[in-house]
Order: sequence, then structure tokens, then C-alpha cells
Amino acid sequence: MKALLIDDERLARNELRRLLADFSAIQIVGEAANAKQAREQLAALQPDLFFLDVQMPGETGMELLESLEPPVPQVIFTTAYDEFAVKAFELNALDYLLKPVDPARLAAAIERLPLKGGARAPAAEKPAKLAAEDKVFVREGDRCWFVEVKQIRLLESEGNYTRVHFEDAQPQLFRSLNAMEDRLDPKFFFRANRRQIINFAWIDKIEPWFSGGLLVQLKGGAKVELSRRQAQEFREKMSL
Amino acid sequence: MTVIEQNSDANDRRRQRAKERLYVLCQMGGWTFFLLLQLVFIRVFNPKADSYQLAALVQTMTLGVLITHYGRRYLTQWGWKELGWRKLVPRILGFGALQSTLWCIAGYGLYYGGLQMDWPEKVSPVALVLASWINGSIVLVGWLCVYFFYQLFDRFNRLDIERLRLIATVKEAELRALKSQVNPHFIFNALNSLRALIDEDPVRARQAVTQLANLLRYSLQSGQLETVPLEDELRIVNDYLALEQVRHEERLRLRLDVSPETLQLPIPPMLLQTLVENVVKYGISASPDGGEIAIITRRESGGLHLQVTNPGELAAATPAKPSNTAAGSTGVGLRNAADRLRLLFGDTASLQLRSLTPKVVVAEAHIPLQPSKVPAT
Repeated sequence: MKALLIDDERLARNELRRLLADFSAIQIVGEAANAKQAREQLAALQPDLFFLDVQMPGETGMELLESLEPPVPQVIFTTAYDEFAVKAFELNALDYLLKPVDPARLAAAIERLPLKGGARAPAAEKPAKLAAEDKVFVREGDRCWFVEVKQIRLLESEGNYTRVHFEDAQPQLFRSLNAMEDRLDPKFFFRANRRQIINFAWIDKIEPWFSGGLLVQLKGGAKVELSRRQAQEFREKMSL
Repeated sequence: MTVIEQNSDANDRRRQRAKERLYVLCQMGGWTFFLLLQLVFIRVFNPKADSYQLAALVQTMTLGVLITHYGRRYLTQWGWKELGWRKLVPRILGFGALQSTLWCIAGYGLYYGGLQMDWPEKVSPVALVLASWINGSIVLVGWLCVYFFYQLFDRFNRLDIERLRLIATVKEAELRALKSQVNPHFIFNALNSLRALIDEDPVRARQAVTQLANLLRYSLQSGQLETVPLEDELRIVNDYLALEQVRHEERLRLRLDVSPETLQLPIPPMLLQTLVENVVKYGISASPDGGEIAIITRRESGGLHLQVTNPGELAAATPAKPSNTAAGSTGVGLRNAADRLRLLFGDTASLQLRSLTPKVVVAEAHIPLQPSKVPAT
């Protein structure tokens, strides 16, 4: 697995490098001292895993993740002492390491990583469609999530942002619905109307609606209206 | 603090309004009761009383209400509410007698002078007026007694509340003084750097262990001392900065400009340390390129003048972005330091943050030579 170390302290990066030397599965491909460098390294090196310091000058680790074009790599957060961050990690079941890092704790974190390494497609001219297992990072206040694309039931446009509905949360994503539509696989997602995109896998019931339209009810309760034109397209897709 | 103060202001206003309502209720209720009592007496002892006599009674009572109501203003104005009962007793008697005189003049003046009523037969006017005056004095002194009894009771209550509030403030300050020890985020980052340093530069690592030990020891002991010589504090600030330099390397540059005559001046422990920590947090840690921080000390106008400058903008010192709250406080450290300074030295001490130039922020503290003794609770 290709890992990128992101920490503003050179010594902290060295220390992590030394600790990771014992894990043959982890191959460190680069280091970054701030969010800007991290973005450059991400584009150039295509790592599968971030060791990401939460507190960094300029942008924080969270802000870096939010700014990334999905899919985001696997992330193991590192922090020295931060009650807020640790609470947020625990609340959201994100993996984190406390500095100085306990080698046993590091081993456990690496153990938990999904085995499929190098799943990222090589950098293409146009970013590829998101796969069902790809992850999107969203944050709202103290809460943050790595959402698998297949868990998303519904995406709703809110100006330049998109509200993402999954499980029992609906945080905002800092991307427009149109930008998201370009990245979503049309095999799974359908543009129901100007404001909404739905996930086929989460459709519960379909009812006829006014003047040839359809009313689609999603698991979890949300109802989405389709105009006649969109209903037509929808029927064609469903019959495939 | 400000929130608590605002609350207590609002509370005071609410209390004031409640007291005013109580006064109106007692004043109207008391006099109405007194009037009814008099009417009953007249019915019982003088069934032949005519409506003129009843009207005179109502008039007398109304005058009583007015005299006591307007007299009350002077009680506040003259500050009698703050007096002890020893000084209060003769004043109450005197004021009661004075008010009674006014009452008699107004009452008899209106009744016999204004309305031209006939004097009752077989009664000497002098005896009548004198009896009325004595009666009036008793009533008014009674009124004043009730009034001041309530005031004493209220003042006792208020002092009690004030005392509790003061205790709470002191406790809060003490608590925060404990919290003004070294930032845990820093300690764990330093330990992490140290771990890396052990392999990389063992000599520097050993030095860093000593510096961290010094800093922790000083921080733990700082709660026990009111002030320390600036020299001691500077030594610890140097250790701290050396450790930060291990972490931030070339991003942290330091300039010391310490006037030798300031070295023995007293300073609350951890004050300069707090300022420097703040500067490192917002001036160095927050910017990818870091910068230079300067510590300047001067002796001037009977006190110690401290300046700690760092690159940055003032807005950056109080980050508005919620994401940065994770880093810890937003100016809490500085506010604590300012509170501690005020508790210890009174209002002559000051601590403020301002822009020196658009690109440089300075934290300035002025510390008088002598700590003022705060009332111990």
C-alpha cells in the first residue's frame, strides 16, 4: 500500500517513517509538510493511504480532506493531544494515532486497513467515475464521515453545495450537484430532476404521479418527483 | 466573565424592579389598612361622626401617603440605607418628628385654613394639634422602622450574594490559573519530537529531556508562588522556545532584547510563558513559513513593560474558523493571563494585544512593582 506522510514537523514524519519500517505492507511514497504539498504529492504519487496530522499551519487535516476531489484515500489521523479531534474520531469511528505513537497501536490500525491496495485508477485526463466502494469525505461541525458511494441514497442541490443523504445523516458537500453528477456512475445514480440525484439501489416504491410523472420513494422515507420526460428516461433505464 | 457580569446586571435590574413593586404594594396596602382601621374605630366610638369627619380622615391618610412617599427619596439621597442601626435610630426619630410636623401643618392647614372648617368646641387647638403631632410621629416612625428593617434585611441578603459571587470569581480564577500550565498539545508534540531525536541527535535529545523537565517542574510549581523574578521566567521561556525550535526548526526564529535592570522585577509565574506560547501558536504554528518572534523587556514608569511580537495579523490571533477551535483555546490563554494579572496587581496592571504594523502583532503587558493585596476569602 502506498502511503503519504503529512505532518508539519520533519521530526514527526521521521519518527513515523522509522515506525513504519517494520510494516512491509506499507510503502512510504512521499512526505508533505502542509496541505498544499499534500495535494501536489497526491496528484503526483497516487497514494492509497494518508497518515494525516490534524493540526497543521494553514489548512488543517480536515480542511485538506474536504478540499480533495473524491475518492479520498484511506486515512489514519495523527494528533498529539486534542480532545475535540479525538472525540470526533471516536464518534465517527475514524482511525487515529496519538503521538508519540505506540507501535502496537500502529500495528492495529494497519491491520484494520482494507487489503485491496492500489485500487486508485492512474491519473487520467478526466477523473474516472466513482466506484461503489469509493469514499467521499464530508464534514458538518464536529462530525465527519468517509461515506462509501453506494451508501448514498440521495443528493440534493443547495446552490453551490450538495446535501448528501446517507444512513441517518445529511451533511453538505462543498461541490455542486452538476459536478457530482459528472463523477457518479449512471449505472447506479439517476438525475431525477434539476435538484436531485437518486441511487437506484435505494428505491423502495414507485408510484404513478400527475400527468405521466412518477413519484419515487426511497428507503429511509425521502420522496422524489419525476416529471414526464424524466419518468420516460427512468423507465428506459429500469427496463434495461 | 463578561457573560456573568451581564447576567448579574440583568439580575440587579430585575431585583430592583421587584423591590419597587414590593414597596408600592406595602405602601398602598399599609395605608389602606390603616385607613380602614381608623374607620372602624370611628364607627365604634363615635357613631355620630359626619361625612366631613370621614372626608378629613381620607384627606389625612392621603397626605400621609404623599409625605412618606416623597420622604423616601431623601432617605436614599442621604445614604441612610447604608447606615448601621446605631446611627439610624436618632435619625429615624428626628425624621419622623419632622415629617409629622409637615403632616400636621398640611392637614390642619388644608382642613381649617383651606376649607374654612369650624374648630371643634370644647377642645383647645394646641392640645388637638399636639395630640395629632404625637400620633403622627408614632405612625411615621413606625413607617420608617418597617422601611429600614426591610432595608437592613435586604442589605444583609445582598452582601451574602455578593460574597458568594466573589468566592465564585476567585475559585474560577484559581481554576484557570491551574489550567494555565503548559499546553498538553505542546507536551505530547515535544515528546514525539524527542522520540525522533533520540536516534537522530542523541546529544540534543538529552538536552531536550532536561528542558522539558525544567518546564514541567516550573509549570507544576507555578501555582504556589504569586510572583517570580523575571529572570526565572525568562530561563523557562528559553527552555520552552528551545523545545519549540526542535519541533519547528528553521520556521521559528527568536530575538531577545532584555534590559538587565528588569531581570529582578517580579512577574506572575507563567505570564510571559503564556504570551510566548500564544505567539508560537498563532504566529509560527499557523503559518507554513513561520517567522521571527521577539521578546522585549523594559523598566518604565514604576513597572515592568513586556512586549512579545510575532508575525501575523490581529484577526489571526482570534481565529474565526471553527475548525481551528480544535487547536485549543481562542484567546482563552491570554484572557486568563489578563485576569490573573488583575487579581494580583489590581487595575494598574494591563495586558493587551494590538497590531504593531499590518504584519506584526504585539502582546504587551505592564506590571507594577508591587503586587496589591487582594482581600483573601
